[in-house]
Amino acid sequence: MQQETFEPVIVAFVCNWCTYTAADLAGTSRLSYPSNIRLIRVMCTGMVDPQYVIKAFLEGADGVLISGCHPGDCHYINGNYKARRRVKLLKEILPRFGIEKDRLRLTWIGASDGIEFAEVMTQLNDQIIEMGPSQASVSKAI
Amino acid sequence: MMIKLATEENSLTKGLQQFFKRLLATEEIDALFLPVRLTASSSIMPSLVTDADQIENAVPLSPAFPLNSGRMVSRLSYKLSGRKTAVLLRPCEMRAFIELIKLKQGSRQELILIGMDCPKALTASDYTAYMEKDPLADDAYIQKVFSEKDDTLNGFHFSSACQTCENPFPVNADINIFLHGVDLSEGVMMDSGSESGQKILESLKMPEASMPANREEIVAQIKEANSIANSAMVKDIEEKTNSIPKLTAFFDRCINCYNCRNMCPVCYCKECVFNTDVFYHQPVQYHQWAEKKGIVKLPTDTVFYHLTRLAHISHACVGCGQCSNACPSDINVFELFKSVAQQTQAAFEYSPGTDENDPPPLSVFHEKEFEDIIGIERE
Repeated sequence: MQQETFEPVIVAFVCNWCTYTAADLAGTSRLSYPSNIRLIRVMCTGMVDPQYVIKAFLEGADGVLISGCHPGDCHYINGNYKARRRVKLLKEILPRFGIEKDRLRLTWIGASDGIEFAEVMTQLNDQIIEMGPSQASVSKAI
Repeated sequence: MMIKLATEENSLTKGLQQFFKRLLATEEIDALFLPVRLTASSSIMPSLVTDADQIENAVPLSPAFPLNSGRMVSRLSYKLSGRKTAVLLRPCEMRAFIELIKLKQGSRQELILIGMDCPKALTASDYTAYMEKDPLADDAYIQKVFSEKDDTLNGFHFSSACQTCENPFPVNADINIFLHGVDLSEGVMMDSGSESGQKILESLKMPEASMPANREEIVAQIKEANSIANSAMVKDIEEKTNSIPKLTAFFDRCINCYNCRNMCPVCYCKECVFNTDVFYHQPVQYHQWAEKKGIVKLPTDTVFYHLTRLAHISHACVGCGQCSNACPSDINVFELFKSVAQQTQAAFEYSPGTDENDPPPLSVFHEKEFEDIIGIERE
């Protein structure tokens, strides 16, 4: 029963040059995507320190998305490759403490992919709803 | 080349002291950095020595491990001093220093690094208690650790870091001191690991020797025993911390003193984010948290701090155990870090402190790697 009313909190760190622009395009194209996803615009996915993701989960996020430019398209040449290593690192550490691997996602969504952006956000939201609330969010830890 | 360093007056410690005196007397070496018993106390601290008379108080092999000296050697070498120093380090100290070299926080340019078979260690508090309760003489201690298999010392257990260490043998050094498998009543074996090390050993003009035949077997035995102990420890700590609520309980007593960070030899930032204004919260912030959750423990951000440190440096963790040693609340930080470090190091196929030319995993990337973590397909 709880599954039906579960509205997850999903924090998305999106890069200024690609995924944020795609989100903008989705908006101007009047495409809709779930309001559970809170976008945080960063200049590059390469600046997303692992601690941002950890903090998001400890503060109650049910999912975290990092989304930037396709390989080779990074405005800062290689920030997205660095992000990929950090996501790999976090996917090793977080499950050790019961935060499932699939709650953290990395995608490449280019500036012109407004439709893809809306689709990916919808799918992600559905998947997180299916997974249910994160056990980290019910704790008093901050 | 390999030589045998004989005992002096039937004492290994004196034999080693003699070796260090001769090192200091050579033109190549201006100073020594090694553990020295401080006068008027039982404390043994790493010290920079230039006076040959002070070497009488040097204790190269003891259960004292007050801090990881790798970090101190970084202080001695991050810039040129115009002096050549011979440095004696435990294996985990050596590994930590190699990690710091990679981060340009140290250089071996003016150093002769001397590694050794690890003489094991007690935790700081056990060491103090042990010294008050009929401690072994320096030589008797060495015999005990390297000749007997007993894992206790007058009733004290060696630190869990030592018991679970899978590599308590010298690596990356210019000169290696070997004790396992050696007849310690005669002396210790020394081996050069580099050209500069060889030059020094040659200048001592000692007869060449060969490695005792049973050393490899003993090394393999120690590795296996410690590896089994390590697996048991990891399993146990995973069980205790496999969810955020359990982890929160594990760190309940954390008082945010940051001792574990300060004593961590590979926590490399000049200024830690946890010391910045980011965590100097506004009073209203605490009230908002309390209002949201009904209760908020102070200091805040303790679990967050440890998780962040795991993300930042677990790939470089050398397993020295100084984080636990430094914890005033007796939280077993080391066990948690080692269990996570194994996972992150395996993920990047990284072995900290082993190869100076192997870059830290988060400082590099490849175009084609970890493709499986991209996209939103369920794993």
